[in-house]
Amino acid sequence: MSLLEIENLRAGYGTMPVLQGISFSVEAGETTVMFGLNGAGKSTTVNAIAGLVESWSGEIRFDGQRIDRRPMTDVVRSGIALCPEGRRVFPGLSVRTNLELGAWTRRSVTKEQMDLVMSYFPRLEERADQLAGTMSGGEQQMLAIGRAMMSKPRLLLIDEASLGLSPALTQIVFKVISQINADGTTVIIVEQNVGVLPYADQAIVMEKGTITFDGRGKELAATGDLRELYLG
Amino acid sequence: MTTLATPFSAQVNLIQPIIDGLAHGAAYGLLGLGLVLIYKSNRIFNFAQGEFAGVGALMTYMIYTGYSFLPKLPFGLAAVAGLLAGILTALATERAVIRPLFHRPRVVLVVGTVGVTLLLIGVEGLVFPRGGALPTVDAVVGLDTPYLTKIDGVPLLYQNLLTLAVLAILAVGAFLFFRHTNTGTAILAVSQDSTAARVVGISIERISMITWGIAGLLGGIAGIILAVPPAGTVLPGAFTGTILTVAFSAAVLGGMTSLPGAFAGGLLMGLIEAFANADYSFIPGLSSLPSAQSEVAVAVVLLLVLLARPQGLLGREV
Ligand SMILES: Nc1ncnc2c1ncn2[C@@H]1O[C@H](COP(=O)(O)OP(=O)(O)OP(=O)(O)O)[C@@H](O)[C@H]1O
Ligand SMILES: [Mg+2]
Repeated sequence: MSLLEIENLRAGYGTMPVLQGISFSVEAGETTVMFGLNGAGKSTTVNAIAGLVESWSGEIRFDGQRIDRRPMTDVVRSGIALCPEGRRVFPGLSVRTNLELGAWTRRSVTKEQMDLVMSYFPRLEERADQLAGTMSGGEQQMLAIGRAMMSKPRLLLIDEASLGLSPALTQIVFKVISQINADGTTVIIVEQNVGVLPYADQAIVMEKGTITFDGRGKELAATGDLRELYLG
Repeated sequence: MTTLATPFSAQVNLIQPIIDGLAHGAAYGLLGLGLVLIYKSNRIFNFAQGEFAGVGALMTYMIYTGYSFLPKLPFGLAAVAGLLAGILTALATERAVIRPLFHRPRVVLVVGTVGVTLLLIGVEGLVFPRGGALPTVDAVVGLDTPYLTKIDGVPLLYQNLLTLAVLAILAVGAFLFFRHTNTGTAILAVSQDSTAARVVGISIERISMITWGIAGLLGGIAGIILAVPPAGTVLPGAFTGTILTVAFSAAVLGGMTSLPGAFAGGLLMGLIEAFANADYSFIPGLSSLPSAQSEVAVAVVLLLVLLARPQGLLGREV
């Protein structure tokens, strides 16, 4: 059984459908990267898994349990954490408080998990008392990932990790994500930056609410489909 | 112009306005706290805050006096019933009006709270058309005089001291609540980014309910403390009519998101009002000021502060 199984998932906004009945699964311990042009439905997919976007039909199973139609609080508690598009840190709260809120559904693990997150991103420790809204874009991205890790997730969803980051910082963030994965968390990353491909066990390409490629990262690298997708 | 100046009197020209000002100001601050709380969490002016106080005062009065079919109970129990009424009214407002409109533009919610206010005033009028007043603290406790002491002949009323003390305790308590409790932090988180709050697993419905419950409690406390003679009454719409608008100004003056700011803003408003109404006949030529001067003074100070410091005296732009 795969850790995450998605079957025939349809979702959208208002009456406008976006996901046209997609199916894929993710194996425990792997890193899955989702590629696709703007508007392809990548964010809608990860948001539906996390429960932020309501799914219309189909099934999402995590560890064998249905999680679609569950309140987001329950989804987070069951072990899924989302680092949403646009970072969305709490601007008027300190870095430390942001991290503590990440552990909202599991208040007992705060201390040990805080140390772990700080070890992934030492910069967060230096800036622990700074208001999150005054941090640089890159630091906010670290904080958003760190906050998601505070709930000790088994599955971490990251929507656009590299957006707006310098190439050097992008590499650092990718390395930390691969460390998080090596430490036992299954990861799904939505990414436009092809530089992430070496870290991808599984790669998925979306187009207009459907999946057009689902295979090993190596295969996708070999086909050159990605160049075609992004460069036309 | 040869108006003769009366001699300056510390009692009339200084002490009386300070005491009046602080007493009124505490009332503004007390309603202002509830306004700030709702503004912090929902980003709206809650026009119904005055009637949460009104309902609390009315329920306390009706049970204390055994009105109609209601049981006549000691003041303490009547006050508890009043606080519960305030809380339940606020929870009902949240459930029936705020939550269904939550994703609408803020102005829709504000108008929603205006609707609740009018409804509450109407219902209060149906249930209890006559006026009344709650007993002051010295009467409840059974003290011989209503004042602790007199300063230069001006009495320092127990009731006013109680209002100030309760206001201070609530301001500090609310400040600590936001600083040091999980629920308080979650309320701030929801107010800053409700999507992000959902992402970390906070139930924004539950937080909204808790916030309104607290606002109802604050309203109830204000109602019970303020509906006493000489100034306060238990009368439908009394709080909305007399205190709410100035309380808004107090909250804005304090920065709208700052609880200590609402406290300070309230006292400042009270003092401005009292000094604008004071007797200035000791200044030659100033024997008679027009009687609407306090409203003008309050408005002018409010506008000046906002122009100089748009975030209010203690507010932060978050
Ligand atoms: N809140 C919303 N309301 C209405 N339509 C939306 C909303 N969010 C997304 N959409 C639409 O759904 C479609 C898919 O959007 P989605 O955000 O999932 O794409 P994406 O693949 O993440 O794109 P990007 O790479 O630009 O982030 C788009 O056409 C978008 O306009
Ligand atoms: Mg997206």
